[in-house]
This record gives sequence, C-alpha cells and structure tokens, in this order.
Amino acid sequence: MSLAVLIPLFPLIGFLINGLGFRRVPKSLVGVIGSAAALASFACALSLFLNFSGQPEVVHIFDWITIGDFNISMSFQIDQLSLLMLLIITGVGSLIHIYSIGYMHHDEGFGKFFAFLNLFLFFMLLLVLGSNYVVMFIGWEGVGLCSYLLIGFWNKNTNYGNAARKAFIMNRIGDLGFLLGIFLIITHFGTVEYADVFSKVAEGGYESGDKTLMYITLLLFVGAMGKSAQIPLYTWLPDAMAGPTPVSALIHAATMVTAGIYMIIRSNVLYSLSPETLEVIGWVGTATALLAASIGLLQNDIKKVLAYSTVSQLGYMFMGLGVMAYSSSFFHVMTHAFFKALLFLGAGSVIHAMSDEQDIRSMGGLRKKLPITFITFLIATIAISGIPPFAGFFSKDEILAHVYEHNKLMWVLALAGSMMTSFYMFRLLFLTFFGEFRGTHEQEHHLHESPIAMTAPLMILAVLSAVGGFFNLPHIFGGHASLATFMEPLFAQSHIEAHAPNESTEKMLMIVSVIAALVSAAVAYVMYVSKKAVPEADGTETGLQKVVYNKYYIDELYDTVFVKPITALSNIFYSFVEFLVIDLIVEGIGKLVKGISGEARLVQNGTTGYYIFAMVISIAVMLIWGLRIFILG
Amino acid sequence: MNAIIALSLFGITNLFLGFLNNRKILLPATLLFVLIAFGLNLADWNHEYYWFHNMLKTNNLSINFTSIILVATALVVAISRGFGNDEEHTHPAEYYGILLFSVVGAIMMVTFQSLFMLFVGIEILSVAMYVLTGSDKRNLRSNEAALKYFLMGSFATGIMLFGIALVYGATGSFDINGIGNMVNQAKLQDIMLNPYGPILYGGIILIFVGLLFKISAAPFHFWTPDVYDGAPSIFTAFMSTVVKTAGVAATYRLLSISFPAVYGLWGNPLVYITCLTLFIGNITAVYQQSFKRMLAYSSISHAGYLLITVLAKTPTTNSSILFYSLAYSIATISAFAVLMVVSEAQSKSGKPDESFTALNGLATNNPFLAFVLTVSMLSLAGIPLTAGFFGKFFIFADAFSNVSSLFKTIAVVAILMSTVGIYYYFKPIIAAYLKKGDLEKIELSPIYKLTLIITTALTILLGIAPDLVKNIF
Repeated sequence: MSLAVLIPLFPLIGFLINGLGFRRVPKSLVGVIGSAAALASFACALSLFLNFSGQPEVVHIFDWITIGDFNISMSFQIDQLSLLMLLIITGVGSLIHIYSIGYMHHDEGFGKFFAFLNLFLFFMLLLVLGSNYVVMFIGWEGVGLCSYLLIGFWNKNTNYGNAARKAFIMNRIGDLGFLLGIFLIITHFGTVEYADVFSKVAEGGYESGDKTLMYITLLLFVGAMGKSAQIPLYTWLPDAMAGPTPVSALIHAATMVTAGIYMIIRSNVLYSLSPETLEVIGWVGTATALLAASIGLLQNDIKKVLAYSTVSQLGYMFMGLGVMAYSSSFFHVMTHAFFKALLFLGAGSVIHAMSDEQDIRSMGGLRKKLPITFITFLIATIAISGIPPFAGFFSKDEILAHVYEHNKLMWVLALAGSMMTSFYMFRLLFLTFFGEFRGTHEQEHHLHESPIAMTAPLMILAVLSAVGGFFNLPHIFGGHASLATFMEPLFAQSHIEAHAPNESTEKMLMIVSVIAALVSAAVAYVMYVSKKAVPEADGTETGLQKVVYNKYYIDELYDTVFVKPITALSNIFYSFVEFLVIDLIVEGIGKLVKGISGEARLVQNGTTGYYIFAMVISIAVMLIWGLRIFILG
Repeated sequence: MNAIIALSLFGITNLFLGFLNNRKILLPATLLFVLIAFGLNLADWNHEYYWFHNMLKTNNLSINFTSIILVATALVVAISRGFGNDEEHTHPAEYYGILLFSVVGAIMMVTFQSLFMLFVGIEILSVAMYVLTGSDKRNLRSNEAALKYFLMGSFATGIMLFGIALVYGATGSFDINGIGNMVNQAKLQDIMLNPYGPILYGGIILIFVGLLFKISAAPFHFWTPDVYDGAPSIFTAFMSTVVKTAGVAATYRLLSISFPAVYGLWGNPLVYITCLTLFIGNITAVYQQSFKRMLAYSSISHAGYLLITVLAKTPTTNSSILFYSLAYSIATISAFAVLMVVSEAQSKSGKPDESFTALNGLATNNPFLAFVLTVSMLSLAGIPLTAGFFGKFFIFADAFSNVSSLFKTIAVVAILMSTVGIYYYFKPIIAAYLKKGDLEKIELSPIYKLTLIITTALTILLGIAPDLVKNIF
C-alpha cells in the first residue's frame, strides 16, 4: 500500500471518530483528533513529495465498476500537480484546523465542526488525488456538500441557511456542466483515466480547434465556473461568508474554490487544443476580476471585502489559464492560498476580538490592541496588492506578463483590476487598524489579542506570504523559476507555444504595476487615514456608488430573469398539468395495477388439485406448441 | 467436493449432538461445520475435478455457487436462535442435521455432471424441505404447507424424471457434456425431422418443468405463496435463498452445457415463462397484506429476473447470476430476520403476526431493525447504493447486450415490473417509519445483531463498489 492511500484515509478516520462520537468525544480531544488527522496527512504528503522521482505514478486501489469494456477504477495519481495541491491542502488545512481550536472553542457544535472540516479535507484530497475524472467528480461533489454543510453551520439563522442553499444550487448548475463534460469524454474516448484520455488526444491527431474538444472543454469550464465562482455563477461565494471564518479561509479561499483551476490545469492537453475555449476563459476571468474588484471597493463587511477579493483573484487565475500560462496560474493558486488564508484568519481574529462584529465602520485603531494580527494582516495586504518582494507580486506579475503578450486590452483591464485590489485592501487595512476606535464601549472593553492557537497559524502563514514568491523566482531576479521547471512535465503533451516576454518588457510591466499598486495604496491612505473618511451608513449612497454597493443588483437580476419565471411556470404546471395530466396518469396506472393484482390474487385459491391442473395445462401447451408440426401435419 | 462428504458427516454428528443435554452448543457447532465446509469448498479453487466416476464436476463457477449457498446457510443458521427453548415440541438437533443434509443436495445440484446426480440432489434437497416445512407440528398451516409442498413437489419430480428418461432415450447419455455433444451433432434445422427430435424436445421441456418448479417460476409457482407462508419463517428464509440459488444454478448449468445448440427449441417457451413470472410475481405482490406472503411473491419475481440473464447467455452471465444471487440472498435474509423477531414480539394469541401492520412504528423503539429492514427492502427493490441495484443493472445490461431484440422487450418488461416492485417494497418501510405503533424495544442476541450488521454492511458495500466481489466471479 502506498502512502498515497493514507493521505485521504487520516481525515476520513478523523471524520468518523468525531462524527460518530459527536457529543461523546470530550471537547479537548475533538480538536486534537481533527488537527492530528490533518497533520498526519501533511506528513505523508511531504514524505511523498520529498521522495518523488519525477515520474508520474498511478496507485490502483480497486476496480470500482466494470461494465463491458468500460472500467472505472478507484485509483490515485501522484504527479507534480497532485503533489503540490496535496501540500497546499494539507499544509494550509492543518494550520486552519489548529486555528479553529481557538476560534470555535465556545461553539456548542465544536465536534460537528471538526467532523465536517475533516470530511471536507477527505473529499478535497480525493479530488486532487484521483487518477480519473470520476474520482475527481466524487471529490468535487463531496467538497460541495461539505461547503453546504459548513456555510449553513449555524443553521438556526435562516439567512445562513439560505446562503448555504444558494451555494449548493449555484454549484449544482456548474456540476451539471462538469458531468456532461465527463459523459462526453466517456462517449468520445471510452475511458475516464487522465493518462488514457490525454494520450488518445496527443496521438489521435486532433487539430487545434477540434469541435468535440471544444464542447468537452467548455462543459468542463462550466463546472469550473460554479466551483471557482466565475461570472455568471459567482454570486454564491460572497454569501458563503455566512459560515464560520476558518471555513471561509479553508474552503472559500485557499482550497475548494481553486478546484476549477486545478481541473483545467489537469486537462491542459484538452484545453491547449481548444483556442476558442481559452479565449472564453480568458475573458470570463478578466470580467470577473474587474467586476468583483469594483464591488469590493465599497463593501463594509470585513469578510465580504475579502470574499469579493477572492472572486477577483480567481478571475486572475482564469485569465492566466486563458493565455495558457498554466504554471503561472498555479503559482498564483499557491501564493493566494497563503495570503488569502492569512487574511481570512486575520479577519477572524479581528471578529473574535470584536465580539462577532464584522462591520469595518465600527472598527478602527485596532493595531495597538491586536499587534500580531495587525502585522500579519499588513503582510498579507502588501502581498495581495502586488508590492514586492512579497508573494503576490511575483505570481500576479507573471500572469500579467503573459496576458500582455497575448492581448494588450486584457492587460490594461487586468492592471485596472490590480489597482482596485490594492485600493480596497488598503482601505480595509486602514479602516480596521488605523484611526480611532468607532465601536461601542463594551466592545472596546473586550478587545484582546487572540490565543496562541490562533496567532501561531497567522505567523506561519505570514512568513509564507512574505517569502512564497521565491518558490518561483523569475530569471530577471536571478532565480530559476523552480516551480515552473518542476511543473514542466505536466504540459509536455500539450505543445504550448511559449510567448515569454523579453526581459526589458517584463521589467517595464513590473514597474508599471508596482507604481499602480503604490498609487492606489497612497490614495487609500490619504482618504482613510489623513482625511479620516468613514463610509456612510447604509441607504445614504447615491448614484453609481449605490449601484456598486448593491453589487450591481446582480442577485436581483438573477431573481427576475431566472427565479421568478421558473416559479411562475412551476405554479402553472402545479395548477394545471399536475392535476389534469400527471395525477390522472399516475393514479390511473396505480389503480390499474392494483385492480389487476386484486384479480390475479384470486388465482391463488389454495386448492392443490387446481394448482396441479394449471401445471398440467401449461406443460400440455408447451408440448403442443413445440410439436405443432407433428400434430398439425 | 470434500464439502459434500464433510457436510454429510456433520449432519450425522449433529443428530448425535442432540443426545447432549446442552442445546446451546448446536448453533455454534453447526455454524462451525458450515464454515469448515466453506473452507473445503474453496480448497478446489482454480482446479477442475471430476468426482464419483465422473458424476460430479467442480470448477470455479460451481465453487462460487457453492460458496453463495454456504454463506446463505451460515447466515440462516446464525439467525436461527437455536430454534427456541420449547423442549417439548422442537428438535433442534434434527433441524440442524436436516438443514446440513439439504445443503448437500443443493451442492450436488450445482456440481452435477450426470443427470442422475441432478435428480438425486433435487430429491435430497426437496425431501429435507418437506420435513422442515412441516416442523411446526402443532400449527395447522405448517402441516398444510408441508403436505401441499410434498404433493406438488413429488408431482414435479415425477415429471422431471420422465424428462430425464426421454433425454436419455434421444441422446443415449446421462452425462451433460455427452448430451451436449449429441445435440451439437444434430443440426437445428432438421432436428425435428430427426426421429429423436420430438423426444428430445419433450425431454428438455419436462426437465425444465421440474427445475422451474423448484425456482418457483410461473406457471409452476402455485406452491410458493402457500408453502412460504405456512412454513416457519426461518425455513422460508432458507428456501427462498439456498433452494432458489441451487435451482437457478442447476438450470443454468444444464442450459449452458447441454442444450445451447438447440436454443431455438426451448428459447421461446422459456422467454414467455420469464415474462409471466415477472408479471405474476410483481403484480400479485401488490395486493398482499402479509409481509411474509409479499416476500413469497417477491421471491417469484426474483426468479424471473434471474431467468433473464440465464436466457440471454452473454459472456457476463456467470458473474451476473452470481452477483444477483448473492445480493438477493443477503437482502432476503435481512428481511426475514427482521420479520421473525418483529412477528414474535407482536404475536397475537400465540401466533406470530406477519402482516405489514406488525411493523408499524418499528423505528420508534428499534431504529436498528428499521434501518436493516429499509436497506434490505431498498436492495430488493433495486435502489442505487445497494447491492440489489447493481444486481438488476448487470442483468438488464446483459439483456440489452444480447443481439436479439426480444431481450430488449424482456428488459423493458422487467424494468416496468421492477417499478411495480417499488410499490410493495416500500410498504414495510412506510409502516416502520411513518405509521404509529406501540412496539417495545426488542432485545437481540449478539450473534443475531452481528448477522444483521454483516448483511446490511455487505448490501451497502456491494452497492457502492460492486467490483470488489464481481471480479472474483
């Protein structure tokens, strides 16, 4: 048995212990079990990574279903991509588990929370470990379920329940696309194993722009839109902030939402041959990055700002995928996992200190009371804004450089989005940690730095956010682009035409984007620190501000365009078709069957002689039928 | 094949164990005997052996069938609870002994090489079952069932013996391969012009009447509801699993080895019988008020599903029959196990209440039993994530992969009938969860509970990962 089997097994065991023993396992043990499961997986993943030979390896566990020639096996693939994902998931996951011990300590559903968290890890690991699309789909659905359960974790609040439902439904729409994509792969290639599908594509002489591949990739991308919150399916992610903050950090920032990017990188062979799909992905990513960033500018809920920022950053990753900069996108997945998890955990620390207050208008001046949280939050803010030498700078600029080579307009829009990012992040930072405290006296009295279980993960993530960029230091800074080199074998089959920009262009682009970020930060400083502006109370915004603050009324638009007509249609069906057609047919058939049954039952009358008579008649009929040519001549 | 010898000796041992005063030793001893037989059976894996002057032959297929029979027997023994503590009227040593003897007959039915052995196997099994059906001596229904079973069974055996004689007359052989060779030589077109043709046809039909009677296919099913209903539940469970599996295995063995060349002769009649079986089993079950009687009709309908793949004879038929038999057996034993304890807890004036209403409110105080019942009903109905779903799925897939469009029609009939099945399989679930009742908590012995956990877990496991077992078959 390979170590790979153990990786998802530990969280599963953790889930079973905490889930079945809910309310029986002592509270002190629950957190230890949950965190130990995550850490054990991390240890296994690390050991696999260190002993990795460079050759992809498929670990066959068992044949799952065989129908004719078609076989679905439960097997894991260990290669560069899955190893990196494993490290991110189990590493960041472990930190967030430890953090949760402190954050969720007072919650009565402590055991349930850790059980769900471990279950999530299990499915997420299954998603990235699977060696075929079906195992990925199991993980995909599983993380969706866990996301639903955890968003609605405080299920006594109806709004939270609605947010969970919204996330689930939006994801189902995407899942349908993904599922159809898998069906198309099955009918077209007759297998779902990555290795087989990709070698069939590579050797099958597919032209670039092949129609089948285009449909497959588009359908898979619909799945990615749902899970990774892209236009038009992004609206669930901001609402998903209803869940406990560690959940937002783990599921809705660092890991699950990047599943779509993982899936596209995994299928890069298919995507590289579908330029139309790549074009769509690039523009959807750009639009999402820009739209979400602009909404983020005016939000006042600390977690909502981070949520829109996540949507926007995911947009950047898709932008990178759209221009075939797969390893750059993955680099951004990695650095984003570090700094966004840090931001959410920092926000959690603030919310913890503020007695569950999330509105930044009631905060301010927290840097003195929460020094560790402040410093780590500051590092993360600099990192996400793309200011060197922190992690976000390297990964985002790599994407921007590739985008520039591909399409200048897209680059301009991306730069605009990047300026907005810097602005809303510093706005958040300044409003929260600078100036005067604006909350109630009671809250001020309560303010305290979080316990070590919460600050330790913050500090570790802060270090990673600070130095994460050096994992893939570009050549112009004397680096070796080690991550990109490591990932190169993944793209061997997809013949990427490299468009690496020359060094002077790359330097120029970097300088432009750094200046842009710094300017935005400066503007934010002037507005919210020097002028001490505080966003106005709800309902007093006007004009464009109001539109943006209300998220461009997208939710209302969906409600009018989709939900209301469907409800109306459903009412019509309910009042006419249901009664006149369905009930009549269904109940009619039911009555018919029952009637026949009532008659048929009478044949069984209990008389042996009659039974034997029936047998004899049957035998006679069969003999006469078979020998009819003799009897009839 | 040492399993046959061992089981015969164990049966006799069991009779002697009856002289001991300690009745408690019987159940573990019998369980041990069955497990030893299971091990002996597996020892021949991957070998083809002829036994007793080429009268029996074991290969992997027959070992698989024997394994299923022994597993089902072990499960039935495990839920037998020593046949009660009524010293006066029950004779557990004899029951266990007869049970083991009947298993010997069942094993002979799946390993026969000569038609003699088929006949002897059926008779050993049947005579044992006549006795066990009537073992509840003071119960009139049990007596009536035993007599009916005996009368009709001997009638069917007589017909079958006549069929064997006719086939011998036409081919000059009792050996199934020998018969197969003879039949192969005669071309299908002119077999009826051959003077022996009609005799062969009559022989085949009469043999199958005997076998179809055993697996309770319509129109030879009439004994089933009355006998299943009247027999003590534990023996009904045995009949509907072990006897059915052995009967289907024997039918399949004979059809696939001796008569594939003359498919045109027997194909059509058996197709109609299959459809009729599906129809009668499912439709009549709808009206039943008794859970036990419903299970009797359900067992008729499952014979129909099994016949589909026996007739479709695709390369995957082996594994489909085995998987279905296993899935059906474990789910049925679960259902009977729940029925037994519940009907006894609800007994009215000393007689167990076996109607659906006895299950009312089961979930309130006995959530475990209700869950076991639900899983087994879902499996019998063929709902996904249970073994029964994949059992049906493989059978329907076999039917669709057969080139003949006739099988697609049968598959459609079977699918329609399985939707009818959902109606009556959900009745017990509805009674257990939605109806109100005043059933107290039922105490289960550890081995009883363990058996239920095993059957339920296996049903779910096979419903999630069917290839775990299917790859062996």
